[in-house]
Amino acid sequence: MKATPFFFAAALLVGCTSVINTADKVERGLTPPDAINYVTTKADGTFVVQMNDTRIGNKIELLAARKSKTPGGFAVVQFDFRNGAFLGQNINVSFEWLSANGQVTERQDNWVPTLLEPGAIKTVTATALKADSAECRLRLVSR
Amino acid sequence: MNKSLLLASALLIVGCGTPASYKDSNGRDLVVSLDKVNIQDFATTGSAMMQSMVQSKAFDRKNPPVLQFGSITNDTTSNFDTSLLLSKITSPLVNAGRVQLLESDAVANAARAATPGSKVPVAEFVLKGKILEDRANAGGIRQSSYIFQLTLVDVRTSLAVWAKEETVTKAGSKNSVGF
Repeated sequence: MKATPFFFAAALLVGCTSVINTADKVERGLTPPDAINYVTTKADGTFVVQMNDTRIGNKIELLAARKSKTPGGFAVVQFDFRNGAFLGQNINVSFEWLSANGQVTERQDNWVPTLLEPGAIKTVTATALKADSAECRLRLVSR
Repeated sequence: MNKSLLLASALLIVGCGTPASYKDSNGRDLVVSLDKVNIQDFATTGSAMMQSMVQSKAFDRKNPPVLQFGSITNDTTSNFDTSLLLSKITSPLVNAGRVQLLESDAVANAARAATPGSKVPVAEFVLKGKILEDRANAGGIRQSSYIFQLTLVDVRTSLAVWAKEETVTKAGSKNSVGF
């Protein structure tokens, strides 16, 4: 008889989404949150890497960042990165464009999910829409 | 003792379910549906299409091309407005001055008719396309693919100057949250 309320509670909780959410929150609390990593091109042709998530930093290697211009005079940047891990990686990328004085001129709001097989090299290309966009900042986050 | 058990059970049951909350429309924890095109699918596909189109020969010049929308056929089982995709492509281009969008609705046509002597730009390119769907099942796993096909046609030659196909594929046994 005493077990009846427990039985009812258990029956009601089966499939209850809040249980899953709680577990998810616990998991997220135990692991550090996904941090956004940046790669920014510089006027001298080099690039700066700001790695805020070391978990992805140990797996994804940035190989190159190439800058060029379209015939119309708009900046184009290509980033090459490689998955150096033994497992496939799901990453999300997005771009921001900066003017020569560092102001953000344009921004891609959405994330583009990208699957990288082990050892795979992926090239992402961004073309500026505005003439004053000079440098590109690649935003990269895992999952 | 029985009261305590009932109270504990009641406390566990209260709060069951996920209350609605606002989400970042461009975030990574949005609902992923197997049976429809989600808002993030339009955003991802639209930005990829836009980036590809802006690298085409039609945009290799100083003057922004004049663009008009052609027909975009929704050949999927979902009912959605195709402007959800088109606005993701054209809004950034129009706002950056990279394209001139020729309106062709009733108001624009009436305005043109009312001012016959005015210089009305003529469309140089027409953007047309199709959205298709493909479904497959294996056991309890459902897979849905949505194929977005767009073509940019030069109206002087009727030749396609740019064409792009983007596919969004989702698989699983039920809808979920997140990428």
